[in-house]
Amino acid sequence: MLVNQFLIVAALLFAMGTYGLLVRRNTVMILLSVELMLNAVNINLVAFEAYLRTSEAIGQVFSLFVITIAAAEVGIGLAIVLMIFRNRQSANVDEYNLMKF
Amino acid sequence: MSQYFQEYITVGAFAAVGVLLVLAILGVASVIRPSNPTPAKKLTYECGVDPVGSGWSQTYVRYYIFGLLFVIFDVEAVFIFPWAIHAEALGIGGVIAIVLFMLTLVEGLVYAIKKGVLAWE
Amino acid sequence: MTFAQVLTPPSVGWIAIAPEIVLGVGAALILLFDVQYKPKRTHLGLATAAIVATAFAFAIVQYDRVQTLSQATADQAADFVATAFPFDAMIVLDANAVFGRFAMLLVTGLGLAAGWRLFERLGARAAEGLALMLLSATGFMFMASSTHLMMVFLGLEVGSIALYVLAGITRERTESDEAAIKYFLLGSVASAVFIYGVALTYAGSGSMNLLEIQGVLARNIFTRPAVLLIGIALMVVGMGFKVSAAPFHSWAPDVYQGAPGGIVGYMAAAAKIGGFAALIRILFTAFPDFISTWGPLVAGIAALSMLLGSTVALVQDDIRRMLGYSGVAHAGFILTGVVAGGAGTGEVWFYLGVYTVQLVGAFGVVAAVTGAATSGAGIDAFRGLSKRAPFLAATFTVLLLGMAGLPLTSGFVAKFGVFTEAWQAGYEWLVIVAVLASVIAFFFYLRVIVAMYMEEPVDEAVAPPGISVRASLALASLITIVIGIVPGPLLSLAGEASPL
Repeated sequence: MLVNQFLIVAALLFAMGTYGLLVRRNTVMILLSVELMLNAVNINLVAFEAYLRTSEAIGQVFSLFVITIAAAEVGIGLAIVLMIFRNRQSANVDEYNLMKF
Repeated sequence: MSQYFQEYITVGAFAAVGVLLVLAILGVASVIRPSNPTPAKKLTYECGVDPVGSGWSQTYVRYYIFGLLFVIFDVEAVFIFPWAIHAEALGIGGVIAIVLFMLTLVEGLVYAIKKGVLAWE
Repeated sequence: MTFAQVLTPPSVGWIAIAPEIVLGVGAALILLFDVQYKPKRTHLGLATAAIVATAFAFAIVQYDRVQTLSQATADQAADFVATAFPFDAMIVLDANAVFGRFAMLLVTGLGLAAGWRLFERLGARAAEGLALMLLSATGFMFMASSTHLMMVFLGLEVGSIALYVLAGITRERTESDEAAIKYFLLGSVASAVFIYGVALTYAGSGSMNLLEIQGVLARNIFTRPAVLLIGIALMVVGMGFKVSAAPFHSWAPDVYQGAPGGIVGYMAAAAKIGGFAALIRILFTAFPDFISTWGPLVAGIAALSMLLGSTVALVQDDIRRMLGYSGVAHAGFILTGVVAGGAGTGEVWFYLGVYTVQLVGAFGVVAAVTGAATSGAGIDAFRGLSKRAPFLAATFTVLLLGMAGLPLTSGFVAKFGVFTEAWQAGYEWLVIVAVLASVIAFFFYLRVIVAMYMEEPVDEAVAPPGISVRASLALASLITIVIGIVPGPLLSLAGEASPL
């Protein structure tokens, strides 16, 4: 069982998520990037679980929880985006600049 | 080459056979069939109705709330499957736990209905 | 397995999560009751207060139980494990968890009273706001009492998601929805970073139970040490986001400025309690042997937070942004106590307890002066406040002096405690930075007090605050002064609060 490949794939996915987070303008695309980061974690968890084979299978259980929480988070996030879109007809992060240092 | 990769050779073989089979059938067909295209034949076949407009269109925003509720209830159902597999071993404690969990979901649904978000005026 | 065995429910330690059950069920009932019977908002508020009070009563029962447990003899060991570590050791019933509940419930009660005008303004959505408040308190209380990284994560998410919604609950205002989206995006990234750290820690130790992790790591590490150390660092970063420590603080001033005034004090205080409770639990229970590795990291974050928070707060013209940056500085002060390891637990909890009370009180004053459902609070609105609203000016002065750490206020005892711990742990440079930052911080608190007492009043009249607001502000100021003069009882209570 090789665990390194999974670690690398997960790290790449996490890095892609971080990159998307920093360069994307559309809030929905940023939400997708966060999902990528969470899925990177899921790959890690399942791979380590298969590698370690603990009796409680906690890695797999945790990945189920991550999936459900990601769904809840995205539900809230989309609701907030919709609210913003109704208020200012745009979902562009550059325009969230009412408050600045 | 490790055991891990050898297991994937079967998968690779199946994929290759699948691609070759499709290519072979389409290739033989194109050789032996007559070619006589007309504009009517080149249309995308959609249940006999002529396609109009572009493939992109805006969806009604009211679908959003249904989509949101569906996603949440759909995904939360994932917890029921592990319980179902071990239902016997978990005994009454497991039943109580899963009933509490489902009641929580039902509460959300009842709240949504009472708030009127599912009403389609 | 016989039929009778199948039908016997397993005994679980309900008492260990009784306050959380009360809050969670209470939130659900409030929502359903509101949607069915449309009760008066005052009644909803009283019901919420009753729920918080019931949970507090259960927390006192738990405190009593913990006292009994601490005297358990060797032949009661099995009993002890069953009571102290219920739910397959995912939850722990110890003084640390109970103190976290005390702090959290006190902040919830104060925040509810101080921000009551917001809920009145919310109209038909008041019940949603109240339920979200209770749910976030539930989540953050779970963070204080969990011994399993999965429970920590679940508590974090339950608490945070409720807070994201609360930040945008006055949904017609663009500042409010901007605060909500900023909080949401940075918060969800922080959660992702945190669980990436959890996954790497799991790889290094083969477990997510904090006590087991400590046991395993004392013997060996499953992966290269670097993987585990990155895991610890990522978890610290994730929690750093939640407690708004620099350089992960960028959301805090915006959220504090944009979120509706009545709830922002509770939001700030609750996130701090939850984040620090989990940080203490994770670092002190699972990784006490790695203190030489995470100590410098935490010390660096602490120093940066204190300096950046204090200096940037100096130039803010909006009181809420100023309190936001001062919150960054205070996160640094609390982290100063964390670097001392398990020995500093009591001081950290003491600081958290007194600071969050001051925070809720201070934001309560700001909401009373500039409105509970609006954003922003320019310093102009506070000029000459002593003539327009002497009570608000007096309580604000007490709370700000407490935050500044003036002697005879609770803030002084708290700062003295964490600085002493850091000094004894060998971080002399950090204490020097912290004292310097405290001196800088004193000036911006003083600036507000000068504006309130020495400058000419503006014409705007301040609406007299309601009875609940006055009571909560008086209580917060009273706590600040009384604890400052007689810190002994709270110090000894917090001193017991080390994790099992």
